[in-house]
Amino acid sequence: MAVESRPAREAGHSKLQDLLIVDADVHVHESPGALAPYCDGPWDVALKNVADVPERYLDIPGFSPGGDGTLTARFPTSHEATRMVHTPEQMVAELNAIHVDLAVLFPDHLLKLPVLPQRDYAAALARAYNAWLVDQWTSRHDALLGAIVACPQDPEDAAREIAKYADEPSIVAVYLPCAGLDPLWGDRRYDPIFDAAQNARLPVLLHAVTVTSPVFPFNNHGFDTEFARHSTSHTFSIIANLISMVSTGVVVRFPELRIGVTEAGISWMPFVCNRLDKEYLERRREVPFLTERPSHYLKRVYVATQPIEEPEKLRDIVTLMELYDGEDTTVFASDWPHHDFDHPMKLNQVPFTPEQKRKVFGENALTLFGIDATGRRL
Amino acid sequence: MTDVVVGRLADFPPGTHKVVEANGRRIGVFNIKGDLYGLPNVCPHQTGPLCEGRIATGTLQADAESGWRPSWVMEDEVIACPWHGLEYHVPTGRCLAYPEITLRRYPVRVRDGEVVVTVGGRRA
Repeated sequence: MAVESRPAREAGHSKLQDLLIVDADVHVHESPGALAPYCDGPWDVALKNVADVPERYLDIPGFSPGGDGTLTARFPTSHEATRMVHTPEQMVAELNAIHVDLAVLFPDHLLKLPVLPQRDYAAALARAYNAWLVDQWTSRHDALLGAIVACPQDPEDAAREIAKYADEPSIVAVYLPCAGLDPLWGDRRYDPIFDAAQNARLPVLLHAVTVTSPVFPFNNHGFDTEFARHSTSHTFSIIANLISMVSTGVVVRFPELRIGVTEAGISWMPFVCNRLDKEYLERRREVPFLTERPSHYLKRVYVATQPIEEPEKLRDIVTLMELYDGEDTTVFASDWPHHDFDHPMKLNQVPFTPEQKRKVFGENALTLFGIDATGRRL
Repeated sequence: MTDVVVGRLADFPPGTHKVVEANGRRIGVFNIKGDLYGLPNVCPHQTGPLCEGRIATGTLQADAESGWRPSWVMEDEVIACPWHGLEYHVPTGRCLAYPEITLRRYPVRVRDGEVVVTVGGRRA
């Protein structure tokens, strides 16, 4: 289900094919049956047991419980929102069609890894996914780079996984799942993960997804619609986790750690910078390890563009980015193949300077992931 | 520069401070462990009455050496603006949250048992 590539028509737009485009957030489809051969016992038995369960979007019992959008009335539609990518060949062809040169792969179902209550099962799933990702995807094509998942239920095991893949040429990031996460990523129990990532020179990338859960900030049962839940789940989660990581000092305790956030757009970032700076002047004592105002640390966080806001005046995107000094920290992401993916043509319409455009589409991501323009780790 | 007598030393026992007027300026005079300091009674943040906070206290600090755990430091040396809580280290005038802000410090000394603050010209 590829999309057609379209030439940039309007004067002043760079041709997408002339730009280096690094995509910070693309999703592979990992089915329970695919992961089973990579999974330790006895959990492989459970995976095989659900291998043939008819699956809905991000919704398999005992694997990714609680589907995205399953709470609201289901009317017929041609926007089925079930696009998936099953093979590296399919992925490369579809990314070529949208002019993406290099892509960092995230999972589908394991977006909801934190909601699984069984620690050993969650850790086994994470190990299986990481092994499968390298074996079946990132080792198969130079354009496909990987983010291994860190299992929040078992931080020590996650740290071992990060060390294991520290020198894997095709792994360029550690994915920190956020949906239903408790406690938030600033909790000290996760320090081994940050320590391992810093030592491995791998950035951590936060990624949420819509779930309804008692866990803050996913306690979104007050909303009637997926319109409301989906508007807030990703963004609130990213805001909550970044505030958590600033307020517990992750950002100062791991000074070499590169942090990125995905699938929250960009317009919340100036708010968080300004809000925390305002709070800091009154409550510095509670964060006495900060030596700079909170925005100093937030402005070092890399922000992936998708789902890029589409204001009437696209110049507002430039203004928003400038409000968090984001010229060197904003990175393109498509979220292909998900229902709300961004074709790079939209960001290409934003009146960036040529330099800003080169940075946002590719150069900033090279710095974030520590790679050259061919995807080779530096 | 003008020397202004603002009271007797006995009016400023150690561990206390009070706001005095000198040449049209309102100045907080602090006695911290026997040393006298003078700061403007105006917080640069939103012009709050900085030195009218009840007591100077210590504050919390954390760094790599403390294992990132907070410790109580600068005992008796920190004044927080009663309006919004922005903290200042009295002996240096340094704002703890925003290092680029340092308050003006008025020289204070004792002459014949009297406390003398040195200020600039008269302010209307």
